[in-house]
Amino acid sequence: MRINVYEPNKVFKLGLNVWPVMVSELWEARELVVRLFIRNLSARHKQSLLGIAWSFIVPFVAIGTFVLLKRAGILAIGDTNVPYPLFALLGLTLWQFFAGGISLGCNALIEAGDMIAKVKFPREVLVLASLAQAFFELLIKLGLIAAVCVYYGFLPPWTAVLAIMALVPLVFLTTALALLLSLANAVFRDVAQVVMFVTTFWMFLTPVLYPPSGKSAWLFALNPMTIFIQVPRDLFLYGKTADPLGFMAASLGAFILFLCAWRVFYLVETKIPERL
Amino acid sequence: MAIAIRSLQAGKKFSKTLKQMMLYGARDMAAAVIDGGRVPSTNLRLGEFWAVKDVSFELKQGGSLGIIGANGSGKTTLLRMLNGIFMPDDGQIETRGRVGGLIHVGAGFHPMLSGRENIYINGAILGMSMKMIRQKFDAIAAFADLGDFLDAPVKQYSSGMYVRLGFAIAVHSEADILLLDEVLAVGDRDFQLKCYQKLNELRRNGATIVFVSHNEYSIREMTEHCLYLCKGSPAFFGPSEEAISCYLKDVYTQRAAIMSAERPSVGASKAFIRGLCFRDAAGAVVESVDSGSPLTIDVEMEFKGPLDHAIVGVNFYNEEGLVYGANSSYEKVILPSFAPGRATVRISLPRFDLPSRNYRVSVSLAQGMDTDFLDVHHMAYSFVVARAKDARGVVKFPTQWSVIRT
Repeated sequence: MRINVYEPNKVFKLGLNVWPVMVSELWEARELVVRLFIRNLSARHKQSLLGIAWSFIVPFVAIGTFVLLKRAGILAIGDTNVPYPLFALLGLTLWQFFAGGISLGCNALIEAGDMIAKVKFPREVLVLASLAQAFFELLIKLGLIAAVCVYYGFLPPWTAVLAIMALVPLVFLTTALALLLSLANAVFRDVAQVVMFVTTFWMFLTPVLYPPSGKSAWLFALNPMTIFIQVPRDLFLYGKTADPLGFMAASLGAFILFLCAWRVFYLVETKIPERL
Repeated sequence: MAIAIRSLQAGKKFSKTLKQMMLYGARDMAAAVIDGGRVPSTNLRLGEFWAVKDVSFELKQGGSLGIIGANGSGKTTLLRMLNGIFMPDDGQIETRGRVGGLIHVGAGFHPMLSGRENIYINGAILGMSMKMIRQKFDAIAAFADLGDFLDAPVKQYSSGMYVRLGFAIAVHSEADILLLDEVLAVGDRDFQLKCYQKLNELRRNGATIVFVSHNEYSIREMTEHCLYLCKGSPAFFGPSEEAISCYLKDVYTQRAAIMSAERPSVGASKAFIRGLCFRDAAGAVVESVDSGSPLTIDVEMEFKGPLDHAIVGVNFYNEEGLVYGANSSYEKVILPSFAPGRATVRISLPRFDLPSRNYRVSVSLAQGMDTDFLDVHHMAYSFVVARAKDARGVVKFPTQWSVIRT
């Protein structure tokens, strides 16, 4: 028999015992994550003419623009050693997972406002279902990447397998930010706007569509996103990366941030329904 | 029998304005992270109010509780607290068993998706496993009885179909405690009956039900005990019948207060009503008779001068409106001329057959035309029609029984 006791600030009284509760509640709700993901996916493509093709059109146009600007000599993009469109597509795929994940996740709570106010379920499933959607887009784009590899006759080194492992820290980082931003957005709706705005400009300041060379290398070193984009891409394209230790440290940081964000979310989620 | 729900002095604060809500929200969330474990303040901050306060009750497993009260009295808030959607700001709530909330049926329905797809989604939201939904799918579809519409997008559903599907999923979710918020108001009569039957069946199988409704009949039908909330605080907790009386009395008193403000002033009028009393068969003044027994209504008036063409009316109301009116004009009764001084008009009913329940009574005095009022006591009196002995239902008619052999 399940016994629920609700009282003010109950979550704090659990102390460190909160972790098993958090994990088990999420585990119980795993089917709901899948259901909500399928719901969002099928609802999104239901009244769309091009459907999944949109996942291809956006990077195609973005990279096409950069190729044009590069050819016209307006942008001086450093040497990438591999065909530029492949390089740019990898970068953009990773970035779009990050930016798409946090912007979808950020809106996940307010879009389900009605549901949150009326049904009891772990609220993080909404954010996770949004992230699953961003991850699904990433998987689709892997197909596009494979096609581009074939087109250029590029054979990735065997370490490309490691690149998939190197995605894990990016997933943790994106999840952490999505959880925190969704809470902030539940109270202040401006947050979603800020996220859109910031991710757009942040992309240009991150070596997504160009290699991190030139005079402003210090800028890239300061940008935490550089390493999360660069390392998986380097592993895929060149089979090695410049700073494996730095990446491990950053990964650990991302994981700790994820744990903190989840904990914060759990502490605060009971206060969401009355604020939506 | 084990306790299914226990509420101890539970209370919930809300802010009046959106801005304060945002501000306090941000502050509370920050406090939750930085300053966890702190005992929360049960004081009200500026612009806050108690939406629910000091609610205590216990409900046994298999029992049923009705929550009644005016709009904005905190019924739905309390239901959400029982469901764990709102955490109490004060007190404690304990529930034993899986809670199924029907605070709103069909929460999480996606309008673009078909009823079939939404059964899976909504079931998952209500905590059903995929396996359980698959097992119950046919039962849900049969209960909702949507026919071909099961495969149509939910946005094409009528509001009744929407509720049917939502309710069908919820009652098949095998919850130990069902929280129902006025969910049946939309469905048609047939479906409502089906729902009550289903709910009774669930109760027989041990489910506990908490029921919010404005419908006095369904509250009576479904619940043994009622909590009457007034501005967030419990005004009465006890047997449903008494709670409903208590609630209706307040409703009528408030309405009468509003109406009496619109009453013509007594001094200006040529005549006024002094009062009204009810008498039973023996002639004793009573406040209640059994349905089907004789009733006498005395209307006492005072005239300042002689008065012709007087019209006297006595109306019985329930909360849905006028149920019965005795009116001299309608009944083509011509009252004699009244001389200055006091007089009583007596209306005798050999059988008073109104269904058993509480009524509010208005009395009016007019002249010449029905609407030319000299004085009105609007809903100023209450009267209870009690259930007749050996009656099955709310009324009892004289019957003759015979057997015709064929």
